[in-house]
Amino acid sequence: MQDFFFIAFPYIALTLAVCVGLYRYFSHRFTYSSLSSQLLEKRQLFWGSVPWHYGITLILIAHLLPWIFPGAARTVLGNQTRLAVLELTGIALGLYCVFGIAALITRRLPNDSRARAVTSPMDWILLLVLAYQVLSGVGIALFERWGAAWYLSTAVPWLRSLASLRPDAATVTGLPVFIQSHFISGFVVILLFPFTRLVHVFAIPLEYLWRPYQVVIWNRDPQLPQLPVLHQIAASPRPIPLNPSEVQRRQLLTRLGVLVGGISAAIVGIPSLAFLLGLRKVPEVWRSLGAADSFQIGQTVEVSFLDSTPLPWSGVTAKTAAWLRREGPEQFVAFSINCTHLGCPVRWLPNANLFMCPCHGGVFYKDGTVASGPPPKPLATYPVRLRDGMVEILTTPLPITTV
Amino acid sequence: MRALKQIWRWFDEITGFSKSLGPVLTHPVPRARKSRWFYVFGSATLTAFLIQVVTGIALSSAYVTGSGQAYDSLRFINSFPIGRIVRGIHYFGASAMIILIGLHTIRVYLMGAYKYPRQMNWFTGAGLLLFTLLMAFTGQLLRWDQIGFWTAVVAAEQAGRAPLIGNWLGHFILAGNTAGGATLSRFFAAHVFFIPAMIFLFLAVHLYLVVFNGISEPPKAGRPVDPRTYRGWYHALLEREGIPFWPQAAWRDLLFGTIVVLSVFLLALVVGPPELGKPPDPTIVSASPRPDWYFMWYFALLSLIPKWSERWVIILGPLLFGLFLILVPILGGRGERSPLRRPWSIVIIASVIVMVAHYWAVGIRAPWSPRLDAPPLPVAVVGVTIGPIADGARVFYDKGCEYCHTVSGYGGIRGPDLSGAGDRMSPAQMATRIFSGAENMPSYRGELTAGELNSLLAFLASRHRVQPPKPPVLHTPE
Ligand code: FES
Repeated sequence: MQDFFFIAFPYIALTLAVCVGLYRYFSHRFTYSSLSSQLLEKRQLFWGSVPWHYGITLILIAHLLPWIFPGAARTVLGNQTRLAVLELTGIALGLYCVFGIAALITRRLPNDSRARAVTSPMDWILLLVLAYQVLSGVGIALFERWGAAWYLSTAVPWLRSLASLRPDAATVTGLPVFIQSHFISGFVVILLFPFTRLVHVFAIPLEYLWRPYQVVIWNRDPQLPQLPVLHQIAASPRPIPLNPSEVQRRQLLTRLGVLVGGISAAIVGIPSLAFLLGLRKVPEVWRSLGAADSFQIGQTVEVSFLDSTPLPWSGVTAKTAAWLRREGPEQFVAFSINCTHLGCPVRWLPNANLFMCPCHGGVFYKDGTVASGPPPKPLATYPVRLRDGMVEILTTPLPITTV
Repeated sequence: MRALKQIWRWFDEITGFSKSLGPVLTHPVPRARKSRWFYVFGSATLTAFLIQVVTGIALSSAYVTGSGQAYDSLRFINSFPIGRIVRGIHYFGASAMIILIGLHTIRVYLMGAYKYPRQMNWFTGAGLLLFTLLMAFTGQLLRWDQIGFWTAVVAAEQAGRAPLIGNWLGHFILAGNTAGGATLSRFFAAHVFFIPAMIFLFLAVHLYLVVFNGISEPPKAGRPVDPRTYRGWYHALLEREGIPFWPQAAWRDLLFGTIVVLSVFLLALVVGPPELGKPPDPTIVSASPRPDWYFMWYFALLSLIPKWSERWVIILGPLLFGLFLILVPILGGRGERSPLRRPWSIVIIASVIVMVAHYWAVGIRAPWSPRLDAPPLPVAVVGVTIGPIADGARVFYDKGCEYCHTVSGYGGIRGPDLSGAGDRMSPAQMATRIFSGAENMPSYRGELTAGELNSLLAFLASRHRVQPPKPPVLHTPE
């Protein structure tokens, strides 16, 4: 049963959505709109429509991004504060949507309203499913907290497996039914797409963005000054098509052009972007620094080791340096050489027992705490361990001071 | 000759160049009269950019984009006289481009040339300014000597101050955990492909707009821009007294551009390219990263602002600058163009120039940087060779005091000059300061034995100025 809901049903929903959508596009093109909106009922439409559309767009993007860039999302969310901020934003947006859809529903309720009169059964079903979707979303955010984080290890692998045609629902089958219902109703929404007014999503009048502007100027200012040639080209009248079917044909072609162009751009752009973002691997390895006996208690010396990902062409830059201090027979501390201010290499002054930074004069005491100057934080340290009489250091990433 | 002409005629006939592009070249421009020489900076920036493209392509043919080999390949390039010359041209071309784009921006801003209908000219120009700065930054990094290496680290650290995504962004810039093998390739791609591509794109739009909107006429006080009538008025002006851009206005651009090329070439020949520092080895910790001259003022700024404001300045500073660039033509898209009627524009430009010049001068001295290479005080300064004073002088050097404090011209200038310490403070006051430290001075509690402290105090108390004290040095903290 789980397999049906999480593997078969998504594919069915998608296939139906695409096929019926295409069929409807080519047979009843004029219905590609949010028919029956009763735009004239402005006020209520405003309070419902604006929160709904802005809220849902942002939320959808937030759902989509980790799906496409799970690695980046993991890094972004790997910090408590950020996670909390993100969750809060999500809840706020969710409530915004709930408010919007509630307004959209209520305006159709009164028996005598125009909107009610034109509301089809399909519209009602859609509204209810959408309402369930946002309500369950907010519910999950409230009661199954940190969804932004667990989403990455549950729904994301599942959705990616669906997209790569190697479906695997293992990561979602164990989830609470409440969460699962959010997933399923999500695919119900997709399924409903071509049958309802939702198709208007694909009819956003994008070409307004680049429609030649002279159409407007032409009416208002017939005496456009004849400046240099380029003006003349831009201002030359264009044959205005009279035949409405011709107009429609051109519109269709424009839209198709945008669609095809966008798809092509995505096909080339997304892998390139993913490549750019994905070249970061974060394995951490232990590297030996030498026998423990070679370090004297109470002394700080420079040690160097290979970083975690030395590449064949790294040359000298494959090395990393650190200041190693032996505090006791078993205790070692390894300080990063990077000043916590802007990363310049700090120098150890053995006689003064201080680290000094050559860039802006930051000074640290021998235990890494700030003595003076601009650095905001103590020197970062590397994990060190003692193994079979050897000192080993963990090659953690270069510490970056964040706010 | 005749054959050439025939080829051209044939070429022109099938391409239509002289019909379509000829009018562009000879399009009428307003007479600029007194301010005519101010109009050359834009084309001169373009000239400098073309210098960079040509020499950049040449250099890239020998540069190796590998963190391990880039430095050696640069040394290889440097080992040929012609390699040094091309590097020199690339370096001084970059400097020229920065200066010229700065002058061009100032000129356009002061003359109000960004007002209707030229707002988009300004936006694309602002983009070009930004890209030029990025080119300068990444270019310094591609030198990939010790300073280039640490520049990458400093860049990542600065990006790290961005809220929320700081850490991610920092490591994205480094292309990995540390500055290493993958880092240089990333900057190379940016410097050689991505940013130049953006420059070409913006440049195309910018030039197109210059022709489409026409070159702005010199401003005149009391002649505000009114979007409803401007185009018609401008057109009438051109009809009345326009001159063809080519050759009547362009010869100045040509002359000035040639001067730019010649000076860049001469500087490359005489001064030569910036020397390569030590190899980019992260384990050579005795590095003192410094930016190239064009970012020196920013380096100084970051060093001198109060500590608490820094996290804001690093992120908000560039953002505010960007916002300023965006708002200028939006808020001031119409009205008076003449700087005489826009006194604030003069104030802004003057303060920016004064600020940059001042910080730049300070940045060169870098008074905030300890002088870690200061030599021990010579006997002539100490005055004695044995006894507590001589011991104190040794402590003064050993404990790092001298890196920040000057005594008789030796040592750093981060802290106060102690040449006359004995005149100003009692030993008790000195001891307090040494123990307690200060905002910019570490506390030496527990670091000095009683004997060391006593001799140090004896040494400091023996410091007297022979001449009357000089006025305090500006901008030395404390
Ligand atoms: S980088 Fe160390 S003090 Fe600024």
